Amino acid sequence: MPSPSLITRDLTIRFGGHVAVNQVSCAFYPGELTVIVGPNGAGKTTYFNLISGQLTATSGQVIKGEVDLTRMAPSARARHGVGRAFQLTNLFPQLTVLENIRLAVQARAGDGWRLLRPVHRFTKLTQDAEHYLEATRLTRAAHLPAAALPHGDQRKLEVALLMAMEPDIYMFDEPTAGMSLDHAPDVLDLIAQIKADPSKTVLLVEHKMDVVRALADRIIVLHNGELLADGAPAEVMDSQIVRDVYLGTATEETA
Amino acid sequence: MQSKSTYGTLAVKTAVLVIAALLLFAPFLFQDVRALEVAARICIFIVLVASYDLLIGYTGIVSFAHTMFFGFGAYGAAIALRQMGPGWDAVALGAVAGVVVSLVVATAVGLLSLRVKAIFFAMITLATASVALVLASQLSQFTGGEDGITYRAPDLFKPATKLMVDEDGKVARLFGVKLNGKLAAYYFVFFTSLALFLLMLRVVAAPLGSVLKAIRENEARAEAVGYRVVAYRTFVFCLSAAVASLAGTVYAIWLKYTGPDTTLSFAIMIDILLMVVIGGMGTMWGAVVGAVLMVMAQYYLRDLMGAAAEATANIPLLPDLLAPDRWLFWLGIIFILLVYFFPRGITGTIMQKGARA
Repeated sequence: MPSPSLITRDLTIRFGGHVAVNQVSCAFYPGELTVIVGPNGAGKTTYFNLISGQLTATSGQVIKGEVDLTRMAPSARARHGVGRAFQLTNLFPQLTVLENIRLAVQARAGDGWRLLRPVHRFTKLTQDAEHYLEATRLTRAAHLPAAALPHGDQRKLEVALLMAMEPDIYMFDEPTAGMSLDHAPDVLDLIAQIKADPSKTVLLVEHKMDVVRALADRIIVLHNGELLADGAPAEVMDSQIVRDVYLGTATEETA
Repeated sequence: MQSKSTYGTLAVKTAVLVIAALLLFAPFLFQDVRALEVAARICIFIVLVASYDLLIGYTGIVSFAHTMFFGFGAYGAAIALRQMGPGWDAVALGAVAGVVVSLVVATAVGLLSLRVKAIFFAMITLATASVALVLASQLSQFTGGEDGITYRAPDLFKPATKLMVDEDGKVARLFGVKLNGKLAAYYFVFFTSLALFLLMLRVVAAPLGSVLKAIRENEARAEAVGYRVVAYRTFVFCLSAAVASLAGTVYAIWLKYTGPDTTLSFAIMIDILLMVVIGGMGTMWGAVVGAVLMVMAQYYLRDLMGAAAEATANIPLLPDLLAPDRWLFWLGIIFILLVYFFPRGITGTIMQKGARA
């Protein structure tokens, strides 16, 4: 087995008395797509936030390769190759679709500090951005402001931003949430393509079981902030403990 | 921006070019002292407002310290010219000193407080600017206190200076305009302002400009794709401070007087805010339109109303309403109407109109 690309070691965050993520230790490997499941409030998004830096851990570590990311700002983690797409669409609403993507390309290329040459002369940036526009089938909308896109296309743009960052670690937080059936396959195809690259690590939070079945190499289950199960999809999905968790919350919710 | 290809954008750019041409030929087109005063003030306020727009319009930073940086540049030149006499060395020293002080203060304020919420940042800039204003009036041995400082500009700009002489040894005239030091001073103001404005235009069109807009649009996302938001914000705060400071130096040379009321006062800060809001935030063109309209209104609305009051002298009530003393009242009403009908400022609103296929 190759060495892990990303490790979380005893990762914990407390909000006052509430422990949202509790001592989660897990290693992720290149070429592997791990789906993170768990009931609402299990700490999946919080776990993501700890890895990509929107939150800083109370204790424990986030390590990518040899680098300790635990105390780094999100921008530093992004430059170290940890890329994240958000659950709630999180774009630059008044900028055009092309400009949204170009910003992600430009961040990776390190051109953000260029202040005297006009953007349009950086043809490489625009070409790269157009490449991701095509990949996500958004070329038609290139010159519309992001806010003017229908929801499904905004979700695709969210994915396009992540792809344009060309990270080593791809983190998708419910990428198909609220998407119509004809849009979802586009996004899932893109994720499948990324997964096919043996140097990339993919983390995916997802509820839809057909998506999980189609893509997962491995499933981890979070429950009340703790790592409850970790293993091959078939094994985890059939285990009694996972059924209890899902059924348990289902009854709690109806109660 | 999405408004790239509208007829409105074309109209705004044409208007800006016309304004630029009028300013370029102002000494020849409007041959009186007051008009030249207005034209020079417009040039400087375009730069000042554009540099403020870098903060509020492009990056979404609200600062109330912009006149402080303007004042640093003005007082730098004023004190240097006063102490060293009217020379270019004094101007250079004053300009550099103003920019250095501005950069130091902007970096300190930026690094200490650009991490906090926008409202706290605005309050901190307000406090800093108040301190600067108090210091300027208290340190009267350097700054002249409330009275300010008068001094002489470099000899080139003296009205008695002859740029060209005719056969009789008198100052030459071109289209009836004396080619004297006053003209040189105006073109010094015009071309310095133009250079600074073009520099800012260049910056907002560069990749850095996109990052600034990204920060304004969604700070957390800009951070998540890999931009160090605090560093960019501090940088743009410093850049706009440096430009404001240079504008202050130019203004000080033009006026040959620097005091709290010409550079540091909060009245000017409010003028800048109004200009940027009326002109339109987040487009450099807005600074041009806003500065022109506001400065013109400040100088000419009174005259216009005086004329209107006389013209309506026989009609009841109207002359009273239009009395020149009520010009601020009418200015206020005009502002309210402008904001109501042009919610994104004049340029911002016009640039959205007339989409082209």
